[in-house]
Amino acid sequence: MRLWAVTTNTFKETIRNRILINILLFAVALILLSLVVGEWSLGHQSKVIRDFGLAAMSLFGLLIAIFIGIRLMVQEMEQRTVYLILSKPIHRWEFVIGKYLGLACTLALNVLLMSLTLWAVVLVQEGRIDFGLAPAILLIYMEIILMVAFALLFSSFTSPTLSALFTLIIFVIGHTAGFLRDFILLYPDKPFLWLFRAIYTAMPNLDNLNIKMAAVEHIPSPPHAVLFGFLYGLGYTVFVLVLTVLVFEKKDLK
Amino acid sequence: MPKSVIHTEGLTKIYKGELGQAPVVGVESLDLDVREGEVFAFLGPNGAGKTTTIKLLTRLLFPTKGNVLIMGRPLSSRESMRRVGYLPEQPNLYGYLTGAEFLDFMARIFGLQREVRKKRIPEVLGWVGLSDHGGRAIRTYSRGMMQRLGMAQALINDPDLLILDEPMSALDPVGRKDFRDLILGLKKRGKTLFFSSHILSDAEMVADRIGILKKGRMTQTGRLDDLTGLRSGVIEVTFVPNRGKPAKSAFQKYNLDVQGRKILVRLENEEDLPALIREITRAGARLVSVIPQRQSLEDIFMAEIGR
Repeated sequence: MRLWAVTTNTFKETIRNRILINILLFAVALILLSLVVGEWSLGHQSKVIRDFGLAAMSLFGLLIAIFIGIRLMVQEMEQRTVYLILSKPIHRWEFVIGKYLGLACTLALNVLLMSLTLWAVVLVQEGRIDFGLAPAILLIYMEIILMVAFALLFSSFTSPTLSALFTLIIFVIGHTAGFLRDFILLYPDKPFLWLFRAIYTAMPNLDNLNIKMAAVEHIPSPPHAVLFGFLYGLGYTVFVLVLTVLVFEKKDLK
Repeated sequence: MPKSVIHTEGLTKIYKGELGQAPVVGVESLDLDVREGEVFAFLGPNGAGKTTTIKLLTRLLFPTKGNVLIMGRPLSSRESMRRVGYLPEQPNLYGYLTGAEFLDFMARIFGLQREVRKKRIPEVLGWVGLSDHGGRAIRTYSRGMMQRLGMAQALINDPDLLILDEPMSALDPVGRKDFRDLILGLKKRGKTLFFSSHILSDAEMVADRIGILKKGRMTQTGRLDDLTGLRSGVIEVTFVPNRGKPAKSAFQKYNLDVQGRKILVRLENEEDLPALIREITRAGARLVSVIPQRQSLEDIFMAEIGR
């Protein structure tokens, strides 16, 4: 009941957020624009539309994760609304997880809206609905909510600017994990290799959640790869949320 | 003897200093005992540690040392918080919600069922004078309305104990009067109230007991009647001299103040009173009043904080 109360309130909070609505409208407009961009690419319309659409979903999802995810906790502290909630018979973990789930629900709705737009664009261009995009979209959503978990973790102990920076760093490193792995294998004698190895081990490998290229090329992703990506993202998200709860449990609300 | 509702022993909060700075004492060795059904005013200048104490009582801060019991239970027990209503200082509420939506959210955190919430929300909105504004977005509320709504959420669970941080500071005189009436009404219903304030007149009007905090330490605590009832030792005697008889000359040895036809004598020593009254009678004067001077809460407060 308490967890659900925080979740539904956060859903209302984020769905009524003007920044989110603006980002979403911009994303939808950009996906629609892929129809025009597709026309310019001779013979590759289908690929360009899918590539453009999926990239827009990923990018705008990240923007929402950073802007809304960080504000989610910071605003509660700044406006002191967190005092009203945590002085009541509620566990702190219920508050953290409720906030997270509320935003995750809003993001699910956003991704659904962007997906419907992309499917509509593909339908206009190809005359059919391509459900082959669904696994890629599912993993994009997983990546976004993993980034929200990181944003929530950082914002529970540092400033909004640093939280945004750290989340962005995680995103960039997460997408270069393959390069790091190759670097470690190719140059085993380089100095500071331990540092690269530590970063590779500790950071999420977001390539596990990236099957966009296959979707663009019309190559069906094997179900086990999709399932692995989903479970990897879910496991990492749970791990980051546990860390966030541990930080928040000990936090003095000055 | 009424049950203890708030009990602290050696409650201490020391904030870690920011980089390179010394630790800051929020509250030190605070022993507090608030009994069932009483209104306790927690007074002190800004920075004395009032809000820190309240945050320690509501689990928002963790004590460095000491114990807190709320209705006999440790703070780690969520059960104790089920019967507590809390109003933070000048709360900013969720602007995107309407007043009624906000109260519904707060009620759901207490686990109140839908039927109870439906009945309770209009009731508390009425108590704080917001019956006609429950459907409005909170972002359109004035500061005073926000404070009233904050009080409404503190009452939503029908608490036995109310902890209010500067509840009257954002209110206009009408609002303060309404708030005082609300507090007195809650007291009549057997609720225990613990509130911080730096508005002494408000505290004086509603509190049974007060505690004065200075630099994180409790310097004075007691029943308001007892503290303000302490005689300062001065007695003011007023009389009207008999026409035709020399008045002032007969009382030259006293500290006189002539106020129109009346004469005011300030006696520094209570033992001089019988002699003065005999002389007033002998001079044929009419005795108007004999008033032992008492300390006001302001006198006590100023003395405690060293002003």
